[in-house]
Formats: sequence, structure tokens, C-alpha cells
Amino acid sequence: MSIEARLALVLGLLAFGTVAGLIWRSRTGRAKNVQSGELINLAEIGATKNGVPVTQFGKKVTFLQFSSEFCTACRQTARLYGELEQVHPEILHIEVDITNRVDLANKFNILQTPTTLVLDSHGRVTSRIGGAVKQQTIEDEIGSFVI
Amino acid sequence: MSDVSKNTPAGIDPRGPRFGAAITSALLLVTVFLALDSTTLGAAFGVLLVVTASFVIGAFFGNSKHPYGFIFKKFIRPRLAAPKELEDPRPPKFAQLVGLLVAGTGVVLYLAGLTGALVFAAGAAFIAAFLNAAFAFCLGCQIYVGLQRIGLIKKH
Repeated sequence: MSIEARLALVLGLLAFGTVAGLIWRSRTGRAKNVQSGELINLAEIGATKNGVPVTQFGKKVTFLQFSSEFCTACRQTARLYGELEQVHPEILHIEVDITNRVDLANKFNILQTPTTLVLDSHGRVTSRIGGAVKQQTIEDEIGSFVI
Repeated sequence: MSDVSKNTPAGIDPRGPRFGAAITSALLLVTVFLALDSTTLGAAFGVLLVVTASFVIGAFFGNSKHPYGFIFKKFIRPRLAAPKELEDPRPPKFAQLVGLLVAGTGVVLYLAGLTGALVFAAGAAFIAAFLNAAFAFCLGCQIYVGLQRIGLIKKH
């Protein structure tokens, strides 16, 4: 194959990777509304916070984050929710490790981690965020709830 | 079931694995270029062997034992500000294992006489390494749960 053709193919591969990366970055971490979402059972998902089982939802909104062991973005996302929890006492962040819970991954159809389910004060799923969340997205979600 | 933060190994600078991924993606792009012509296919195999060996180190010994990790620690990190946060070393290790499977498949098929497979293995591994280096794409975040759901990974 000629040098020109090989260079063109290599540059094409580089362009493909760049476009794929830009598309991935623009789509990740965005909230999608869930119509008639289900009611979350905290005992079933085994939600704990600081080692203590969680029995109540956040006063205004709960962010239920599913994480796994081999996930860098999960740590960053958990830290972001933790910081916002300090500023907004009416929200609750729960992180559940699904590394050993394939049943939960199947039940909630989780394909990537982190995946966050946004719950209203009754624990009903109102939206879903796939991937690392941006702070503005969380602020918008908090703002969409009225106590 | 417990909080995720427990039992986590000591953190590493997240820019280390991304620096390594940049070198890896450059080498894989060279591999693709060389593999596209029959006169340089042997050289392409040589470069892919080097990349595969680096995946073996990364997957089984981790970034701290990796030559790229060493270069990063010795020459790059001293010039950078301290990282905002440290990263769990397990996700990049998992990504290295996936890289090893892809590149290793190319090596095995080449040795088995299927020399045309080399360019596809190098191309696929390039995309993953490039996305990691340029966009902080985390392979473990994207595919681990899915692989577990279809039963390819069993965790005890």
C-alpha cells in the first residue's frame, strides 16, 4: 500500500477516535427523565451510608449512585455529591457497590458505572444519569424539586 | 453490601495511567501504519509485541511497576502541580488487562498465520488507549458491569 494511502487510513483512525470521544463526552453525565418510575426499596438494594443502613430518603431529593470496583469516574462522582450534600441538607446521596450485585445491575438495567437514579422524597425514580455527573446537572436536578 | 470507599488500595496520580495510555496509543498507531503494508508487517508485529509486553506489566504488576509509570514519576510528575485527587489503581489495571486481551489476540492470530488480524487488533486497542489518554475514558466504568451481566466475569 502506498505511503499516502497508509497515512490517510491512520489519520482516519485518529479522526474516528476523536469524533467517538467527543460524542461520548457530550452524552455522558446527562440527566434523562423517567416517566412513571418505580419506587425504590432501600432494604432490597442494601443501601448503607457510613456503614449504617439507610432507611429514609432525602427530604427533597435522593441521588442513588451505583458504582463498581473498576471505576475511576465513580470516585469523582461520589466526591461531587458529597460536597453538594454539605451545601444542601435537603438532599441525600447513597452509593451502592454493584460489583457483587448482578441482580441489581439487571433489575435497573445498568450498563455503565456510575449510574445515578434521582429519586423524589417518596423514593420514586424521576430521572437517570449515566456516567460521571457534572455539578451543574446535579444543581439543576435539585432545583427541579419543590419541597 | 457496604460503602464503596472501604477496602480501597492506596491511590495513584490519575495522570500517570493517562500518560502511559498516550505512549501506548502512539505505538499502536505506528503499528497500524506498519501493518498496512506487507513489507513492514514484520516490524508491525515487533511493535505490537512491545505494546503487549507493556500490557502484561500493567495488568499484573500495576502502574507503579510499569516503565511508563516510572518515566512519569521521574520526569513528568515533578513538573506538574499536585493532583486534585488520587485514583484507585484497580480501574487502570483492569483496562490494561482488556488491552492485553485485544493486543494478545492479534499476536496469537499473527503467529497462527492470520497476519491480517494484526491491523484490526492494533486498531481496536488504539481506539481504547486513545480515548483514555485524550478523553479520560474509563474502560472499567463502561464495560465491567456489562461483562458481568452477560456472565463473562464472575466475581466471588
